[in-house]
Amino acid sequence: MTTKLFGEPVRRREDARLITGKGRYLDDIGHDALAAAFVRSPHAHARITGIDVDAALEVEGLVALYTYEDLAGPMAEPLPVLIPHPQLHAPRTGYPLANGEVNHVGEPVVMVVATDRYVAEDVCDRIVVSYEELPVVVGVDAARAARSCVHEEIPDNVAARHHQETGDVEPVLADSPRTLSFTQYIERSACMPMEGKGVHAKWDADDDSLRVYTSTQASTSVRAAIAAKLQLSLDKVEVIAPDVGGGFGVKIMHPWPEELLIPMAAIALGQEVKWSEDRREHFIGSAHERQQRQEITVGYDDDGRITALDVHIWHDNGAYTPYGIIVPIVTATQLVGPYALPVYRVIVESVYTNTVIVTPYRGAGRPQGCYAMERTMDRIADELGLDRAVVRERNLIQPDQFPYDHQLTFQDGRPVIYDSGDYPGLLDKLRTLVGWSEAEQLRADAGARGKLLGVGMAMYVEGTGPGPYEGGHVQVLGSGKVLVSTGLTSQGQGHETAFAQIVASELGVPIEDIEVTTGDTRRFGYAVGTFASRAAVMSGNAIALAARGVKEKALRIAAEVLEASPEDLEIDEGVVQVKGVPGTSIPLRTVAVLSNPLRYAFDEAARQATQFAGPGDDSKPPVAPGDAPGLEHRDYYSPIRSTFASGAHAAIVEIDPATWEIDVVKYAVVHDCGNVVNPMIVEGQVHGGVAQGVGGALYERMAYDADGQLQNASFMDFLMPYASEVPDIDIDHQQTPSPLNPLGIKGAGEAGVIPGTAAIASAIEDAVGRRIASMPISPTELYDLVRNDSSEMTAAAQRRAGTGVMA
Amino acid sequence: MKLDGSAVLHGDPEKVWAVITDPAVLARTIPGCETLEQVGDDEYKMNVSVGVGAIKGTYAGEVKLADKQHPTSYVMHAAGAGAPGNARAQVTITLAPADEGTTNLTYSADAVIGGPVAGVGQRMITGVAKRMAGQFFKAIDDELTGKAVPAAAVPSAAAVSSTAAEDVSGKHAAPAAEAAPAVFAGRAGAAAGTSGDAQTLALGAVGGAVLTLIGILVGYRLGRR
Repeated sequence: MTTKLFGEPVRRREDARLITGKGRYLDDIGHDALAAAFVRSPHAHARITGIDVDAALEVEGLVALYTYEDLAGPMAEPLPVLIPHPQLHAPRTGYPLANGEVNHVGEPVVMVVATDRYVAEDVCDRIVVSYEELPVVVGVDAARAARSCVHEEIPDNVAARHHQETGDVEPVLADSPRTLSFTQYIERSACMPMEGKGVHAKWDADDDSLRVYTSTQASTSVRAAIAAKLQLSLDKVEVIAPDVGGGFGVKIMHPWPEELLIPMAAIALGQEVKWSEDRREHFIGSAHERQQRQEITVGYDDDGRITALDVHIWHDNGAYTPYGIIVPIVTATQLVGPYALPVYRVIVESVYTNTVIVTPYRGAGRPQGCYAMERTMDRIADELGLDRAVVRERNLIQPDQFPYDHQLTFQDGRPVIYDSGDYPGLLDKLRTLVGWSEAEQLRADAGARGKLLGVGMAMYVEGTGPGPYEGGHVQVLGSGKVLVSTGLTSQGQGHETAFAQIVASELGVPIEDIEVTTGDTRRFGYAVGTFASRAAVMSGNAIALAARGVKEKALRIAAEVLEASPEDLEIDEGVVQVKGVPGTSIPLRTVAVLSNPLRYAFDEAARQATQFAGPGDDSKPPVAPGDAPGLEHRDYYSPIRSTFASGAHAAIVEIDPATWEIDVVKYAVVHDCGNVVNPMIVEGQVHGGVAQGVGGALYERMAYDADGQLQNASFMDFLMPYASEVPDIDIDHQQTPSPLNPLGIKGAGEAGVIPGTAAIASAIEDAVGRRIASMPISPTELYDLVRNDSSEMTAAAQRRAGTGVMA
Repeated sequence: MKLDGSAVLHGDPEKVWAVITDPAVLARTIPGCETLEQVGDDEYKMNVSVGVGAIKGTYAGEVKLADKQHPTSYVMHAAGAGAPGNARAQVTITLAPADEGTTNLTYSADAVIGGPVAGVGQRMITGVAKRMAGQFFKAIDDELTGKAVPAAAVPSAAAVSSTAAEDVSGKHAAPAAEAAPAVFAGRAGAAAGTSGDAQTLALGAVGGAVLTLIGILVGYRLGRR
């Protein structure tokens, strides 16, 4: 039946619109709006000693200039710490416009509003801000050394010391047959959505109401932030996320200074004001992620079974901590992956640097955790001379161990209890899919071609769909159209399709009749946002519950009309019918009309409905107590805790020993996100994730110099994989439904990116026989590593060298 | 909003007093002053056109003064209201003798800018006001040092007053508007007393700071077109 679409590879309904230029992105809105531009700090750390706007006053078309002293009330206070945590002992946030001090290049100092963006930029060029430069802290190692500090009252640069442990790790390590200690590093990268941030605000002075469009992942929360900061009543503020050209995490951070300043200017000037971020602004004025120094000590036995794991991580959180310590917590708790660790201790020290703030980027600390855990597995295997897959296998949580409690506390404050999974199943499928057993043969073949070939793998478990809740609203109109809305936002994931599939299946209506709206506070006021692979899990289930509520009411109303009991009714193709009795039916749209006792015959649907309308019962009110007019239902889904998706990736790389170019020749993914709403969309998410994983492993880095200047802040200099660098991806699905939610689904949005760095590092190490302890790695760095006699050779390479195989 | 400034004028306080209280001088030194007209004791109306970058236009302002401490200080109150907003200001002006027979004039304005124009940002308003105060005192100083080619800021006023300067010893300098000469002549003829002097002094001192603030209101309206 065409309405049973759950699990079908339905083509994305939004794509025709988006790829033919019919999308409506932020910059497509407000053609007549005044334009804002920002004077941003050119220094990584400095005191502002003066702001001279005199030369700017000449510029024709200048409308307004704002500095910190124009901010009043809550706007003059530091920006909020969104997610406080007792272990975040020294939180710091900036001001919407710098208040005397700047802590990273790109921090906004002056906002200019002019008749258009060109004029606004000209004005910015003529504003002279004088600075007294201060010592600069760049990079996690410098922050840790603390020879100078970012915030003078925090001399050690430590914002938070996140600490979790599942037992007393030291005695267990002391008693372990074997231990290994090593350190490794992972570099900064960033989300780099094709569309940067952007805000458009329009103030209705007669109505005292504000409408804001912003390229955000959390419109309801931006709305609350604007209302609080600008001291407006929540009911006077609307926030809408239009089509958003990618988020990947950076747009879940809120409120961005611009999301408060643009509305402030729109109100002050009584005119529409718009700002859309340019690429350099996005590099220096948004957020980055990933950089960590990891010190790992692991205890294990002769079979490679881990006895204890002790991890100490230094995490670079940039200049401020508006998003709390979510990324450190995620790294700390997701690091354990699919493995049963008898004792685990993790300490993450989150440190300040004079660089762009760090907030979640697709994976949100998981790629770093996966990198730590999986590279540990590789080292154990190397030490013992065991197959890397076998060592992993011996440490896996077994299918009969679910629910599995890691005795850790997750980002949502809930216990890390894995709900379901089959990790040995993942590993078996992966070995088959990538041809793990043929690795040595492939290596020999490549060697014959003068290439160095290596294989690597990495497994992960991803906590997805954290609460606290999402909501859904489903309404059937007399026209037969089904309106679906949820407050959570879309950035191209295919929600219009996936949510419509869920409603089509639950309600039994054609998908063509369904219209989905997301991220519009006019349609749905309560939402959390799109992050942590939670849209399908949270809004998907909420919408399913709302659709079930509509169905129940529809059957109740239809049962009266058809003089049948609701249990005997079914809905298919938008028609309510008695099971097995063709002809005894009523269109759902007619039920929608009947659901409203006020039956003015405005349209054909209403006229048709009258023939079904029985005589009213004079003993009852037209709307029964507890009932309501209209065929609609609103419901919320609030999970007891996150549901845990899982997967395993393997990469085969070929390296040219002449150029040290690294070519990923095969990439295999086994993916388990429980029940799948739309396998085509899930595979698309995996493909996109793998692309970012390859980028993180081989290309993407933030090249800060010692002065805190970002030297590659453009697409000329910041490398990202093109289609030509993204390997063909072989995908195999495994489905272990989640017992936690009605649809049995788990999140899929971030999964693809998580194991990329670990798996590719493992493959490169396998190919060249040198320890890879710093990622990403470029051909030049690989060349230097291999040519450096002091660089560590893997035991496997030494063994191969012993057997005459070229390392 | 506070707005403070000072100017060193080449002449002792009495000379500065004399120059700065000559309405003809004021008419051509107040940046953009088109007409000024007495409407009562210590009360004046004037039309000023302000022209700086984004902020330009003409505006009618009113001035009242008090606490005259001739010849050293007084306080003046100015107000203006227009479609885009309104301005109210209290300005204290002080004259103090300085080195080599110069005078140090300081003004301290406390202005309230209301209406939408208040939204353009403090640095924008004070930036324009300070700049025009500077133009005013520069023009006054040029009067004192004799190189008085009236402020180029307002061609109309400049033209008229410079031709006027050729006949009756500049006393008859007339700004563009017709009503103005009569007003000047009448007051200049009366020539009497500190009250008139103080009144005109008030006008002079307000010119730099307050009228520009008021002018901004209009400029704002034009700027947003």
